[in-house]
Amino acid sequence: MEDKRDEIRQLIEDTKSLPTLPTVITKLNALVARKNSTNQEIARVISSDQILSAKVLRLVNSPFYGFSRRVSTVSNALILLGVNVIKSLILSTSIFEMMEKNLVGLWEHSMATAVASNVIATRMNLPDKEEVSTAGLLHDIGKIVIRIYLNNDVDRIAALAEEKGIPNYEAERLILGTDHSEVGKWLSESWLLPEKLIEPIACHHDVAKSVNHRHHTAIVHFANILVEARGMGHGGAAGVPSIQDAAKEALKLSNDDLEAIIANLEDKLVEVRNFSMDIQDT
Amino acid sequence: MAGGARFSRPLTGISVDISMQTIPLTLAQPGMVLAKEVTRPEKPDGPALFGKGTELSESAIDRLKQLGVATITVEGHPVVMEDDESLDQQLAGLDQRFRHVERDPYMMKIKALIRKQIVRSMEG
Repeated sequence: MEDKRDEIRQLIEDTKSLPTLPTVITKLNALVARKNSTNQEIARVISSDQILSAKVLRLVNSPFYGFSRRVSTVSNALILLGVNVIKSLILSTSIFEMMEKNLVGLWEHSMATAVASNVIATRMNLPDKEEVSTAGLLHDIGKIVIRIYLNNDVDRIAALAEEKGIPNYEAERLILGTDHSEVGKWLSESWLLPEKLIEPIACHHDVAKSVNHRHHTAIVHFANILVEARGMGHGGAAGVPSIQDAAKEALKLSNDDLEAIIANLEDKLVEVRNFSMDIQDT
Repeated sequence: MAGGARFSRPLTGISVDISMQTIPLTLAQPGMVLAKEVTRPEKPDGPALFGKGTELSESAIDRLKQLGVATITVEGHPVVMEDDESLDQQLAGLDQRFRHVERDPYMMKIKALIRKQIVRSMEG
């Protein structure tokens, strides 16, 4: 089983076998590494791929960022969201595109988690709520990799989770020796995403393990559970888990906060359902 | 998953009085009546653009689109989504999902708040 874990890790580290990423990403990483590159230069690189730009703008204008005005250019998107969020959006469009039709539920769950993360971060008045939303969008990215490369194991994982009444990630550990949060961590590291995004992906099922970004991690953990609780998850037999103590301590939400978050989320989820219908039509 | 929408509601023995529904603006139709006022999306606490009780016209719907309004709440329950469930079904699903955390008071508090939202969205 340890072999399997190493095999998956090797697969991700070997960039040649990674899901085909737009060449834009390599150029973007080089530009960002240069430090003195300007937003205009970065915008020019992204805009050179028109289809990609259109897809990124579509996500920027989705309900999970909640901008009241339409963002119509890549350079405005860069100013509003920063290069790391835009880079993550390029990656998520590329990855989610590879999903098969039967994974639409995961796409909807990811968007709903992004929205819920945004609602919680807004209530807590966090300055970088766009990054928290993006972490919510990417939190299950490891699941897609498992689907793509280990499709044969997916049914076994689901069957084991069902049979034992355990969460999916525990069944993944039993069968693969790793789980989707660790796979997501490897993947986001290989993409050179910032730690602020990696930690919530890596620790969303074990908040106590997060070191430097406890708040972001706790928000994504809580958002994931709220979305599951609202019936937009995949918990299966295990159902909704308890919020971890480490998350409760980090968030310190009052009863009023909880009430406002849950009421606000309900309205936003209507928008998510509508947005995911849109995506499938194109 | 969530597919298209159909108008006219089948009679499925729903025991509650359904008096309003929040719908995406893309499904709005002339003749629907606003059950809640609509404000600018960037100023949710600002003055109402369209008051409660307004009957929507084509031009009102276009205006709402231009303003970037994403959802509205209308009277009755005019839109049936493919995955629409009755209130009883939704509450049964909620019980089912929370069955392993019944001894966790924090989770029960969350469940009660979600339950309230589900009932509110169905009953108004």
